[in-house]
Amino acid sequence: MPIKRLFVANRGEIAVRIIRTAKALGIETVLGVSAADRGSLGAEMASRTVVLGPAPSAKSYLDVNLIVHAAKATGCDALHPGYGFLSEKPVLSKMCAEEGIIFVGPRAETIESLGDKLGGRAMARAAGVQTVPGTDHIATLEDAKQAASQLGYPVVMKASAGGGGRGMFKAEDEAALDASFERASREALAAFGDSRLYMERFVTRARHVEVQILGDGEGKVIHFGERDCTVQRRYQKLIEEAPATAVPEATRRRLHDAAVRLTSHARYRNAGTVEFLYDVDRDDFYFIEVNSRIQVEHPVSEETTGEDLIAWQLRVAAGEGLHLEQEQIKVTGHAIEIRVNAEDPSNDYAPSPGRITDWAPPTGVGIRLDTHARAGYLVPPFYDSMIGKLIVRGADRAEALDRLQAAIAEFRLVGPKTTLPLAAFVVAHPDFRANRITTRWLEDLGPFNAAREV
Amino acid sequence: MKGKTEDIATLVELFRSSGWDEMHVEIDGVQLFLSTDPNARLDDGSLPRSAPEVRAAPVVAASTATVSAAAVSAAAPAPAAAAAQEVPAHWIAVSAPNLGTFYRSPKPGAPPFVEVGMRVEAATDVCLLEVMKLFTTVKAGHGGTVRRVCVNDADMVEHGQTLFYIDPS
Repeated sequence: MPIKRLFVANRGEIAVRIIRTAKALGIETVLGVSAADRGSLGAEMASRTVVLGPAPSAKSYLDVNLIVHAAKATGCDALHPGYGFLSEKPVLSKMCAEEGIIFVGPRAETIESLGDKLGGRAMARAAGVQTVPGTDHIATLEDAKQAASQLGYPVVMKASAGGGGRGMFKAEDEAALDASFERASREALAAFGDSRLYMERFVTRARHVEVQILGDGEGKVIHFGERDCTVQRRYQKLIEEAPATAVPEATRRRLHDAAVRLTSHARYRNAGTVEFLYDVDRDDFYFIEVNSRIQVEHPVSEETTGEDLIAWQLRVAAGEGLHLEQEQIKVTGHAIEIRVNAEDPSNDYAPSPGRITDWAPPTGVGIRLDTHARAGYLVPPFYDSMIGKLIVRGADRAEALDRLQAAIAEFRLVGPKTTLPLAAFVVAHPDFRANRITTRWLEDLGPFNAAREV
Repeated sequence: MKGKTEDIATLVELFRSSGWDEMHVEIDGVQLFLSTDPNARLDDGSLPRSAPEVRAAPVVAASTATVSAAAVSAAAPAPAAAAAQEVPAHWIAVSAPNLGTFYRSPKPGAPPFVEVGMRVEAATDVCLLEVMKLFTTVKAGHGGTVRRVCVNDADMVEHGQTLFYIDPS
C-alpha cells in the first residue's frame, strides 16, 4: 500500500530532512508542531502544519495521544517518528498499528525487546554476537583470580545489584585483584545490601563503531557499512564518520556480519543501528545495543553509499519489500559529520539558545548541511540544542578532513554560541588527524577553551 | 483584563531594568514579546500559512520610549466564515489548550454546553476536547456573554485556535 500522506512527528532538522524526501517521492506531509515551532522551516515546507500544543515537549512532541490523534484527524496513512522524542517508545508503534497507520519503524515488540539492555544482550547471544566477556556471580577470591586470568587483565568487578557506574572496581593485575576483592564485596553489601559480584573484561582503549542496517521485517537485512563515532563527550556523539578506517577491514567485515546476523535473527523491520564497542588493543568488538530508529548521523552513510536512507525507510514501511541486494551497496570515499549545537564549549557546554543574527553556511563540492536554521531563526530553549549537521565528503579521509576544516572556517553563524570552535579544534588536532583517539579522548583533554582553537 | 494589563506593565518594567535584549513570555494563551531591537519580530512573524490570522484575544500594546514592545496574541486558524467577520476589540477569545476534536455537547444528542447570547462565568464549561477518546472540558476563563461559536461540532482544532468569543461587558 503506497503512502499518500505522512505525518511527521518531530521537529528541527530531521523534520526538514523527512519532508524533503517525502516530497521527492510524491508523498504529502503533515507536520505536527508545538506553538514554539509554528514559524519553523519544516512548518513552511510541509503540505500542512498543525499546532499540537504549547512549547514544552511533554505537552506537544512527547504526547503520544496528541500525535496519533493529529495523524488520524489529518487523514495521514503513515507516521515517521524521526529520532529522539517518541521514536523509540513502543507505545507509538503499537498505537499506530491499532489505528491502521503505518509506523515508519520497527514493530512495537522489536523496539521493546531491544530497548531493554538485558533483552538486547540476550538477543545478541542468541544470534551468536559477542557481548563484553564476563562472568556470572563470583563467590571467592580464588574464583575471581581464575576468571580474571581467563578474561585477561584489566578486569572490572561490578556489584550484581549495582548500576549506573556505582559499585565498580577495576583491577589492572592479580595483585590489585588480591587487594580489592574483599573491599568490593564489602562495599557492594554496604551500598546495595548484596555482596555478590560479577566480573567483566575492561576495555582500556575503546572506539565506538556502529553498523547501519535496513530490514524487511521477515529476516532479510542489508547493511550500509559502519560509522565511527568515537569523538564523544559524556556519551554524546559530536563527530561521526564513515568508513571506520581505524578498524582493520577484516574486522569491519566481521562487524557487518554480526550486525546483520543479530537484526536478521530479530526479524528487524525498517532502519536501525547496531552499536559496538571496539577494543583497540585486542582488535575485537562487543555488542552494546540496537537503536531502533533513524539516527542523527545517518547522513555519513548516505554520503558514502549514495543511498537515501529516509526513502528506503518509507519504501519498506509502505510494504514494497526490500528490493535491494547487499552487492548493490558500494561504500566509496569518506564522509565526516560535525554536530553544530547551540552550546558554549568554553563554558562546560552550557546551552546557548537565542536568535541567529547572521548566517552564511559554507558551500562547495562535497559539502552538505542538514539544518532547519536560517538567518533570523530563534533557537528555542525548550528542546535539544542542535542547529544542524555539517557533512563533508572527500575521496579519502585526508581530503574529507581538509574540506571540513575549510568549511568550518567558512561557516558564518552569529548569535548563539556554538560547538563550531570545538569542531575546528578537534578536526585540526594531530590525534584526530592520525585517528589515534578513543571514546575518552575528548574528556581526557580537559575543559575546552576557545582560546586553544587551532 | 485589568490584572493582565498590570502584569504586562510589570513585565515591561522588569525587562527594561534587566539588560536583556529579548524576552518572550506566554501566559494563558497571551504571548508577550519584548525586544530592544525595533525591527525584531516574534518568530519572524511567520505564522501558519494554512489559515488566515484572526485577531484573537485583546491585543495589548505595551510600549515605552526605550523599549519597543508588542504583545502578540495566540495566532490561531479559524473557519473562513468567522474569519470574514469583524471582531470587536473588547471581545475575549477562548482558545484551545491543545489539538483535539471539538464537541459542543457533553454527549451526542445532548444540548450544547453554551449558545450564542448565553451568560457564562469563568468556571463555566463551554465545550469538550477529545484526544484519542480522552475527553477534557474547556472552561470559559472569563465571565461575559457568548458572542460567537467559531468551530463546527466534531471539527479538529489546533492549539491556540479560537473556539468562542466572549463579550465581557
